[in-house]
Amino acid sequence: MPKRRDIVAIVLIVLPWTLLITVWHQSTITPLLATRKGNPTAFSADGQPSGWCNRDIVEVVRTEYVYSRPPPWSDTLPTIHVVTPTYSRPVQKAELTRLANTLLHVPNLHWILVEDSQRRSTLVSRLLQETAVNYTHLNVETPRNYKVRGDTRDPRIPRGTIQRNLALRWLRESFRVNSSQPGIVYFADDDNTYSLELFEEMRSTKKVSVWPVAFVGGLRYESPKVNTLGKVYGWKTVFDPHRPFAIDMAGFAVNLRLILSKPQAYFKLRGVKGGYQESSLLKELVTLSDLEPKAANCTKVLVWHTRTEKPVLVNEGKKGFTDSNVEI
Amino acid sequence: MATRMKLKLKTVFVLYFMVSLLGLVYALMQLGQRCDCSEHDLPKDRTISRLRGELHRLQEQMRKSDVTKQPQKQPAKPTIFVITPTYARLVQKAELTRLSQTFLHVPQLHWIVVEDSPHKTPLVTDLLVKSGLTYTHLHMPTAKDRKLQEGDPSWLKPRGVEQRNEGLRWLREDRRAQPGGDNQQGVIYFADDDNTYSLQIFEEMRSTQRVSVWPVGLVGGMKYERPVVEGGKVVRFHTGWRPSRPFPMDMAGFAVSLKLVLANPEACFDGEAPMGFLESSFLQGLVTMDELEPKADNCSKVLVWHTRTEKPKMKREEALQAQGLGSDRAVEV
Repeated sequence: MPKRRDIVAIVLIVLPWTLLITVWHQSTITPLLATRKGNPTAFSADGQPSGWCNRDIVEVVRTEYVYSRPPPWSDTLPTIHVVTPTYSRPVQKAELTRLANTLLHVPNLHWILVEDSQRRSTLVSRLLQETAVNYTHLNVETPRNYKVRGDTRDPRIPRGTIQRNLALRWLRESFRVNSSQPGIVYFADDDNTYSLELFEEMRSTKKVSVWPVAFVGGLRYESPKVNTLGKVYGWKTVFDPHRPFAIDMAGFAVNLRLILSKPQAYFKLRGVKGGYQESSLLKELVTLSDLEPKAANCTKVLVWHTRTEKPVLVNEGKKGFTDSNVEI
Repeated sequence: MATRMKLKLKTVFVLYFMVSLLGLVYALMQLGQRCDCSEHDLPKDRTISRLRGELHRLQEQMRKSDVTKQPQKQPAKPTIFVITPTYARLVQKAELTRLSQTFLHVPQLHWIVVEDSPHKTPLVTDLLVKSGLTYTHLHMPTAKDRKLQEGDPSWLKPRGVEQRNEGLRWLREDRRAQPGGDNQQGVIYFADDDNTYSLQIFEEMRSTQRVSVWPVGLVGGMKYERPVVEGGKVVRFHTGWRPSRPFPMDMAGFAVSLKLVLANPEACFDGEAPMGFLESSFLQGLVTMDELEPKADNCSKVLVWHTRTEKPKMKREEALQAQGLGSDRAVEV
């Protein structure tokens, strides 16, 4: 009997302590571990507790939004250099307008707009000036033998290649390899749709990061295949998944340092098979195992390869019904 | 000895009981609080939250510097109520995303999204919540005989009629309940989810007293359609298609003041109207041509474009689905 009582006594003594210790362990140890892993930077100098929930910050950002002006430049955020080739057609101004409306939300963004034209057009120049986005306006004309004839989408003729290469060259001339300014380079076509989350995902690119893209390759979306270790090992596409990099232009971003350290890497102009343009650049820069998957290990779609219909202008007739002085 | 032991044990028990009770209370308090998110915090998420914190700090800085620069309070701007009918298709999320990115730049904007659906879809619900905009989420299915079938050309049946009317109905009901009654400032604009809007058009329409009009690009088979203005008044319409309509313009080419809509509770879109007369069916009861207010520099600038998005080619997806290997449906596109 006394033995039983002793056992009961011991159990009753030990039980509350174990309860207490597990509760205390859960609530206090993990934040301590978390702060030790992360680097105490300017964030903690704010005086905010390191356990601050994401949701609070996002909500505060919403209510204090400033309209029609890019967010203030931060010294700690890497700059995102967005390279957009563009060419003159009826929907150009509309496309660039809505792309500018999107980019205007992204902090530390530098828009490199490269026109496929002999000289910089007033339409684009004026649009860039009015929009207040931080930009660089370049232009280079695609030689006639490369230009797409009519509308036929011949994939062998690389579209926008010369313009993107010019942007790469401009970046290499403007930034030194040893410069401490971190940057990310992203090739954004003017008719795609980009979510704001995408730009924050790509900001942490160390070499080349990748993510899924919707409406390419005749699928709902194409995406890289990511294994349980978080490494890319293949491509979930139907159209030629054995390409070295079976990814769309909108599906990857490159760290600026990598671009600067490999000055020979450009998009190949001649002899590029349809769908191999991205590979022609990426194989000079990185190997498959170096790719960093973003967008929740490539399970979220944050960019859509939308295409705008060519507007039907039948009523313009031969002489043009509308006043050509009015810019559209 | 035994009794002293007993006593000691009793106090120990009581002590431990109190301590464990306190521990339980503490644990329960922890449960009630907001999650500190640190267990779920992956390094990437933490980077995002750190960057957002930076952003917040910078915006605070800028706001402080703004406040010291500008003199205080401007009179409240009239709210722009944007009614957007939408329907589920592949590009829906992309369209609504980029539309919301434009609207996020416009102050005092209230987005009324009306889904062509018997119930609210999670895709639109989540998008609206994350958008950061002031919004109202409604839904109204289109009557079966008015719905476009697969393969029908887009002009065959009028689209978005029930949805826009539902938006108007909600607005009337909501505004009537507000203090101030019919003397409310506001502008109503019907914005389709595939068009492109510049930020200037919203500032142009804010001063609408009755109905204001402006040019629309890439519509009516032309580079742009517009009202022709002489002496500050609209005298006729420059359009390539059926110019004899009472109001030959596109949905994106006009805005109506809230006051006018509240004063005319019967005004709505007529789904039975012949092709191209949808806008006229609504405006006829509200205003006459000479009462129209021309905007956009006497209707000489194009600030909105009637763009249309291509339907993405899904041949490979369909082939895969036939084999049962379609892309993961759980991934929202």
